[in-house]
This record gives sequence, structure tokens and C-alpha cells, in this order.
Amino acid sequence: MDNEELSQAFPGLDDKRLRVKIIGVGGAGGNAVDRIKLDDLGQVALAVVNTDTKSMASSPIQEKLLVGRSITRGLSTGGEAEIGRKAAEEDAALIEKMVDGVDLVFLLAGLGGGTGSGCAPVVAKAASKSGALVLAFVTMPFTREGERRRKQAEDALSELRQCCDAVIALPNDMLLQQIDEKATVLEAFAIADEWVSRGVKAIWGMLFQSGMINVDFATLRAAFRYRGGKTLFGLGCGEGEDCVKKALADLELCPLLHLPDYKYAKADSLILNICGGPNLAMSQVNEIMDAVCEKFGSRQNTVLGAVIDGAMRDAIRITVIGTTDVSGAGQGQRPSATRPAMQTAPNAHSSAPAADQARRLDERASQHEFNFQNGEERGFFDATETNLYNGEDLDVPTFLRRGIRVQLQ
Amino acid sequence: MGQDKIVGAIEIGTSKVIVLVAEIIGGKSLNIIGESHATASGMRKGQIISLREVSDCTHKAIAEAEKSSGAQIDSAYLAISGAHLQGFYDSGVATVSSASGIVTESDIRRARENAKMRNLPPGRVYLHHECCGFLLDGRRVADPVGMVGEKVETGYWHIHGDERLTADHIHVVNGIGLNVDCMVVSAIASASVAAGDEEKKNGVLVIDIGAGTTDYALYRFGTILRTGVVPIGGDHVTNDLAIGLRMNARYAESVKLRFGKGVLDITDKNDTVMLIGDLTIGDRPIPRLAIDKIVHARIEELFMIVKNQLGSDLGPQNVPSGVILTGGTARLPHICDAAQEVLGVPARLADSPQWVSDPQLCVPEYSTALGLLSEGFATLRASYREAASKKWYSRLSGIFGK
Repeated sequence: MDNEELSQAFPGLDDKRLRVKIIGVGGAGGNAVDRIKLDDLGQVALAVVNTDTKSMASSPIQEKLLVGRSITRGLSTGGEAEIGRKAAEEDAALIEKMVDGVDLVFLLAGLGGGTGSGCAPVVAKAASKSGALVLAFVTMPFTREGERRRKQAEDALSELRQCCDAVIALPNDMLLQQIDEKATVLEAFAIADEWVSRGVKAIWGMLFQSGMINVDFATLRAAFRYRGGKTLFGLGCGEGEDCVKKALADLELCPLLHLPDYKYAKADSLILNICGGPNLAMSQVNEIMDAVCEKFGSRQNTVLGAVIDGAMRDAIRITVIGTTDVSGAGQGQRPSATRPAMQTAPNAHSSAPAADQARRLDERASQHEFNFQNGEERGFFDATETNLYNGEDLDVPTFLRRGIRVQLQ
Repeated sequence: MGQDKIVGAIEIGTSKVIVLVAEIIGGKSLNIIGESHATASGMRKGQIISLREVSDCTHKAIAEAEKSSGAQIDSAYLAISGAHLQGFYDSGVATVSSASGIVTESDIRRARENAKMRNLPPGRVYLHHECCGFLLDGRRVADPVGMVGEKVETGYWHIHGDERLTADHIHVVNGIGLNVDCMVVSAIASASVAAGDEEKKNGVLVIDIGAGTTDYALYRFGTILRTGVVPIGGDHVTNDLAIGLRMNARYAESVKLRFGKGVLDITDKNDTVMLIGDLTIGDRPIPRLAIDKIVHARIEELFMIVKNQLGSDLGPQNVPSGVILTGGTARLPHICDAAQEVLGVPARLADSPQWVSDPQLCVPEYSTALGLLSEGFATLRASYREAASKKWYSRLSGIFGK
């Protein structure tokens, strides 16, 4: 880590530095990158890929790549993922150049539309091929946007899961729960961007921010060694005297951790980042570590990062990112203590007993092909046929599909 | 052939397996002599997802019911539900053959045969042919035999299901050495006891909302016009609450039972309730409005789907007797208000049939099992009447090719 900090201090050592690039694909992806730029992430390169000249022109990002000029004439894809894919494939050489030599790529996209769904997998493949660690943050369309966009988004998502090291899918239906009823459309999308940017920041912070416990790139890469599975992602904030308790309670209520996908899951590999003020105590870090490990994984396979942010006083931010081993390929790498630890861990918050969870994980490992084909798990109604009615899956809570906001506080 | 018989009505529901044991004396009277229920496992949305688990709990319930009645079940009536059930309307026409124009039994038989001509795609099997009445030269008549006309027409509501899933269901009961005498779709079973004869004549919609499925049957002119299954039930409400309020399914179920209601109650606006209520760790306040919103959204959508499926068949003029709700989820407070609001016709909860005296059985959860008994008994009596020479226990052939 020292090396990286050194290189940060001396910009002249540019070629030795870890190269990080945030790439936004499509309109929504581009907007998310814009927002991160405003948040000031330091020495990270930003780039956008799009098929639409108009929205590209309004973006303040330096590195812009217009793909598929001969196919779309710079007039976007009209929501057609196939066109988006063709556009990206046509300019594959430019995309390869864009990701060449980059160590860590954050891929941001809104799935459902043409460019996001079509181009993102192409960019991810190129980046992965060039040897970069690829972490994708994607938003899933609102149910109200219709069957076709949902289908496109799901296809793109399962493709991304195959070629990225981690894919964090944020359902817009769920994000809508986080905002006020009177919020404007712009505010709604800003929320989605906010979640994405916090996830990016958490990982970036572990690598670059000054902190108590930093993580080097090799450790990070090792933490993301399981491909193809669901990526668990949760955030929690707390302020004031009881900030640790509050942050943990907030994390507990994080809606993303209550999607059917994650309900029963414990991660096989977990990244925990704690961001606090200068008065962040080691005991607080330990307390959070214990609570989080018990719920989401085990100590052996958790990578901990603790970062100090001068601007935060008496406040703590927790970010949890976990990957699961669906392929069974990483079996050898997994510490042997994982399974017993999961079985004995008392877990007051799970609906199934711990033994049942372990069985589920076993099943998951042995049924990976099934998982690949189907893409999404469906929690309680997992083993049943999908309940499609007018293009909506009726097993998904009605209030989520209809965008009815439920306030918990 | 002896006409005394012990029958078992078995409903393998999504949350409960219910077995009723009844004694049929002389083929004329029916007495319930035993009952048992067991928590079902291995069922989702009315369908079997684990044959072994379902067999275990069903066999346990059957054994307990036999023990409570002190008798051994000779044969079983079985209810079936699930999203795989489908129905369609088809009618058959026959020209009156006699020179005098008087309709005879053979004309009716030809019309009936015509109505049942349609072949199902492979893998599907007929479960019911419900006669929707007769038209004589376009006029609706109750019984055309002996009347004068040129053309007699009869319509049927045909219900068919997936062959494999249906066989699985029978297989569970066969596993304990019981034959299935008759199989009735849950919608018809519960509707047959939930609504009275007069209501069935006027027009009534019976909706049985269980844990995994919602089964409905629409009656008019005393016959079934159509039935349907929506694979949504109380389990969905629980799951929605678990996700929306971020708690496990056990707490969500308890919150549903304690605080759930079918309408948005504005007086709940600033009210909160405790998740567990005993101040243990993890207990937290939940706004009642949040519970209301989640439950109401699901219930409203459920009735909306029923409404869409019935289309123009549902309307105040077609169902003057309104909507009758039954099944476990019908216990949800204010669910009638929600039904009325969406369906646009008055709704009420089902009364228990008068012939049932045991108060334990007079709850909405039992309507399917009770209906199963009464439907099975009615079929039995009809077959007695039809022909003593014919073997009345047509058994499975009766189900598959009636």
C-alpha cells in the first residue's frame, strides 16, 4: 500500500500507479459518472461510452467514446439492445484501447435501454480480457417500464455476471422506496446514482484514502474471485453518540439486503469497509466487524478496510460487498472453516435455521447450471414456476412493482 | 354391493393438509366422524414441490384422522388446485331427431358428446366437465327432455390440468394405500358449500383465498359458468411484508395476522406497532401505514386479476348475489371492503353450511374440505340413481374421461 500512497504523493511516478477507470455506458451510466465526478474522487480516470451524440455533448467528462456511428449515425439505439451490441462490437477496437492497461474498471450502466443493455457486456468483456478487475454497478428498470425493457435488462445482467468480477444490480423499484413521495423524477434517478457512487467510493476509499486499515489491490482482486454469482451489496449510516449501533441498524434495514436474492445467502467472500471520522476507535471497528461477519459471512473470508474521512464527525458509514461461489470452482480456495462457521453462527434474522442455510448453499453449489440459466433467484417462491401475468412476476411484492412507497421510520 | 362406506376428504393445501372422515350410510346420509389437520410442507402456490415432504405430512394427517374417527377410510375424495388448472367453454349442438320435435334423452346425449369433442394437447388431462345448462332453439331451459323444438344446445365449462402434476397429487394419496374415488378442483369444492342454491341460481362469485392460491367459481342459473385459479394467496402477503418491512417470514406472518387489513386505514397514519411486542432485542416499531400499504396493494391486485380474468362475466347484473369470500386469507379484516371496491359488487364472508354442526369445522379454512365431501357425496348419489347396474365407482376413469 505504501507504494500507492507514494505514487499519489508524486504524480511523476504515473506509470507505476494503480490505474482505475470509471466507465459509464449509455445515458444513465453517463449521468452516474457525472455525479461521481462532482463528488471528487481524486486520481481516477472517468470515461463515458454512448451511442447518442446529443447526450454525450452535454456531459462534462473528458474521455468520451461514441460507438456505432455507422449504425446509429449518433442518434442512439431507440431502446434496442441488439443495436447497442452491434454498435459496441463495431467499435470494439476503440473500446479495447479505452480499457487497455487499466487495473480496475468500475462499469456503470442503466440496464433496460439499448445502449446500456447492449454495450455494457461488450465493454465488460473487453476490460476483463485486458486483465482488469471489473466491477459493475447497474440499475434495473422500473416494473412500470414494461416487459421488453425488463427482459433486455435481465439478459444483459446474466451476461454481465459471466464476464465481470462483481455485478451489483440495483432495482429501481427498490430505490424508489428510499425517496419522498413528492420527489421528482430527477431526484429518483439521483438516488440511484447516489447508491452507485457510494459503492464505488467505498472500494476506491479502501485503496486510496488514508485510513487505519487499507487494502491492497491484490487482496481486493482475491476477494472478487468468485464469478457468475449474485453480489451482495449493502450500506448503512449512523450519526451521533450511538453511531455504531445506528449504522448497524441502518444496514440491517438496507432494502438491497432484503431482496429475495440475498435473503438466505451468506457471502463466500466479503468486503467490509468502514468509513468514520478522525475519532473512529478500533473497538468500534471490531464491534462492526463482529456484527457484520456474523450476519453475512465469516471472519476468515472477510476483507476489512477502515478509512478516515476528515469531514465526518461522530458519523460512521458501513459498506458491505460480498460475492458467492456459485460455480464451485473456488472450492479449493475457500477456507475449510467456512461451512462449520456458518452452521453454528446464531442468526436471529434469518427465516430458515442455520442448518437449512448451509443446505441451501450446498444446493446452490451443486445446481450452478440451473442458476446460470435462470438468472434470478426468487426467495420464498424459488422452487416454483414463475408467476407471470401481463409480463409481471406476481411473486415480486406488489408494492415494489407498483412503486408504492412504504416508509419505515 | 354394500352402500355403507367410510370416505375421507383430503385437501392438500399450501399451508395445511386437512382430512375429514365421513360415514355414508345407505348411500343416503353423510356424517362427519373424524377430522385432522397438519401443517403442510413441500407445497408452494398449491403445487407440490417436494413429493416426499408432502407425502409425509399428508400420510400423518390421514392416520390421525382415522384415529380420531376410530374407523378406516375406504376411499378418498381429493381436492386439487394450482396454476396449471385451466378452463374453457365449449358447447355442443344436436338436431332433434324425432318427427314430432319432442326432445329425447338421446338428443341430449348427442349434444353432450359434441360438447366434449375437443382433444387436449398432450400432457393435459380433463378434470371436470361442468354443464352450464341447455338452450332449446336459443331459449334457456332447465331440462329440455319432453319439450318441443328443433335444436338443442348444451354448454360446458371444461377444466383441465397438467397430467403429471395431477398424477403426483393422486400418487401422494395412493402412497398410503388409499384409492382416489373422485377428484374435485378446489374452486368448485369450496364454492359448492359457500354459496346457497338460491344464490347460485341468481348469480354469485365465490372466491376462496388460501395460503398459496386463490380459487374462484362463478355460478349462474344454478350451474357453474366458469372457474379459475390465481396463484396468489396469503403466503404472498407474508412475503411482501417480509421484504417491505425487512424482517424474516416468521415475524412477517405474525405481523400479518395481528395487524394486517385489506384497506388503507387513514386513522393508522401516525400509529406504530411493535414487531415482536415483548421488548426483546431486535424489536422495533413499525408504522401501521406501512403494513396497510403493503397488504392493501397485494389484496387489491389479487381482486384486480380476478376481475380481469372474468371480464364481462362479472358485473352487478350477472352476479346479483354478489361475491362470497372464504379460505384462510378471508379472515383478513376488511377484506370484503377491498373486494367490493375492486370488483364493484357487494361482498360478504361465507357462512358455514347448515349440515355441519361441529363449531371447529365452521371456519373459512375448512370450506374446501367440506365442499369436497358434499361434492363427492353428490356425485356418489347421482351415480346410484343413474344405474345400479353400472359400477358407480368409476374411480379414476370417472375423473379422466367422464
